[in-house]
Amino acid sequence: MKLIELKQVTKTFNDGRKKIEALKQTNFSVEEGEFVAVIGPSGSGKSTFLTIIGGLQTPTEGQVYINEEKFSELEEKKRAKKRFDEIGFILQASNLIPFLTVKDQLRLVNKINRSNFDKNNAKALLDELKINELSDKFPSDLSGGERQRAAIARALYHDPSVILADEPTASLDTDRAFEVVEILGRETKKKKKATIMVTHDERLTDYCDTVYVMKDGVLSKK
Amino acid sequence: MFLAWKEIKYSKTRFALIIGVVVLVSYLVFFLTGLAYGLAQENRTSIDKWEATGIVLADESNLNINMSMFPKELVDEVDASETASLGVTSSVVQLVEDSEDDDDSKVNVTFFGVNEDEFIFPEILEGESLQNDNEVIADISLKEEEGYELNDELSLAGIDTTVTIVGFTDNAKFNVAPVLYTDQSTYQHIRASGFGERDDEIISAVVVQTDSGELEGVDLGTDDLEIFEIDEFISNLPGYNAQVLTFGFMIGFLVLIAAMIVGIFIYVLTLQKTSILGVMKAQGISSGYIGKSVVGQTLLLTLFGVLTGLGLTLITGLLLPNEVPYMNNILFFAGITTLLIVVALMGAFFSVRTVVKIDPIEAIS
Ligand SMILES: Nc1ncnc2c1ncn2[C@@H]1O[C@H](COP(=O)(O)OP(=O)(O)OP(=O)(O)O)[C@@H](O)[C@H]1O
Ligand SMILES: [Mg+2]
Repeated sequence: MKLIELKQVTKTFNDGRKKIEALKQTNFSVEEGEFVAVIGPSGSGKSTFLTIIGGLQTPTEGQVYINEEKFSELEEKKRAKKRFDEIGFILQASNLIPFLTVKDQLRLVNKINRSNFDKNNAKALLDELKINELSDKFPSDLSGGERQRAAIARALYHDPSVILADEPTASLDTDRAFEVVEILGRETKKKKKATIMVTHDERLTDYCDTVYVMKDGVLSKK
Repeated sequence: MFLAWKEIKYSKTRFALIIGVVVLVSYLVFFLTGLAYGLAQENRTSIDKWEATGIVLADESNLNINMSMFPKELVDEVDASETASLGVTSSVVQLVEDSEDDDDSKVNVTFFGVNEDEFIFPEILEGESLQNDNEVIADISLKEEEGYELNDELSLAGIDTTVTIVGFTDNAKFNVAPVLYTDQSTYQHIRASGFGERDDEIISAVVVQTDSGELEGVDLGTDDLEIFEIDEFISNLPGYNAQVLTFGFMIGFLVLIAAMIVGIFIYVLTLQKTSILGVMKAQGISSGYIGKSVVGQTLLLTLFGVLTGLGLTLITGLLLPNEVPYMNNILFFAGITTLLIVVALMGAFFSVRTVVKIDPIEAIS
């Protein structure tokens, strides 16, 4: 099943008089359980690509489907709702909330959903990511790698169908970076997610099923 | 509330400082209000005690009771459900045993000449009522602040008469001075001292109470007198209106500024968090949820701060010496509490607007 699908998507920015084609016409899809890497030089349009899939901006032309539902044409509020339910974001600098402990980062999801904290799910997840003993610590007390693992836990906790990671390893040393990417790959398979990871580092693509290269707004399979 | 509370717990020092500011600012406002209200009351407690509808003064007195005088017989002309004749004169008293050169022991007072069978006669808190000439019932503040006791003898400035305190009553201040109640004949004697002997008994005013609470239908029977609403009379007490206006404006502006300070604090707090809030929005957490937690946090902070400030004020009020004209007024305190919280919430809603405007893309790139 195609969890992510882009049909003839383009993105153009009007920068004064100049038109910047950040994303040229793109057809693209990710299957359930597929781990995709997007590499490419700075300014080539990787983040633009990812944020359009995540619904943070709308495509100039074309449609984005998430879980077979037309996503890019939903109105703002519904898009935010679907983003919350279906997409887990992992960002470069961690997207953890500084004043919440690791456990509370997960609990926040329940507070917003008005659901009960799923203790077992949380424990299983944290155990798997080897950060269960850290569950009462604040992000500032964690190392970079631990923080990224907590961010992964947060992204996986509410069981989204899609994981979008924009340079999740940028702040990590090589060993930690490999560890984090391996975890991402493993979770993608095990929980049948569709995962896209944007990265600068070609060595990290070993764990990925498909590798795409972005160059001047053109996406092509490697 | 989850986010709001967790954040407060995490950044304890920062929020303690903010609450500290709210506490101090509201303490200042409440305390000043108590003082201003207390002072205003010292002008009028003796009048409020009457629960009167109106007051009849001499036509030419221009609402100044010190300038109002007319023959006692005119009282009979006034036709209302309850009337009471009142003589007013100010004086300076001193305990007989104190030396006349000791200016510190002299006290400014106002004498009220009253009749025991009329409604403005004070309730006696301690001691007994007037039996003979040259006896007075004194305001309790003379006991609390000057240490006067029952049966103390007081000499009057400029007149060779002494009066004896036989009783105390409370809430009896007129124009910031304590009141001494005497019978009419003693009053005539004290008042006449300044003008030489007179044949007529002179009084200052007739206090009127009607069943309806309105002055309509009260017949004065003579052109030499004029009747005024009791509120109008009070606001024309010398200096009273100026005082009330000055303090009113001072406190009004203080409340506004205090509330704005709180509002600005909340706003800055939100601005500082823009990137975190952007990340939350990128994850799909709605502006509504974030906004609610900003507003909830503001409510928590201001409610706690303002109520602590109020508590401090009430405690201070209890500890103040009696000389300080401080008085609590629940209505004012409730009003100020509401106003402070409402304006702080407005600051919070202003912050919510910025939350709505945060572009998650900027926050995550
Ligand atoms: N809001 C915008 N307005 C105008 N131009 C934009 C905007 N966002 C992106 N661009 C342009 O689009 C192009 C692609 O940007 P993007 O951020 O997607 O690159 P990237 O591949 O993520 O780069 P990096 O690896 O440095 O993160 C760049 O030329 C950028 O200047
Ligand atoms: Mg980028």
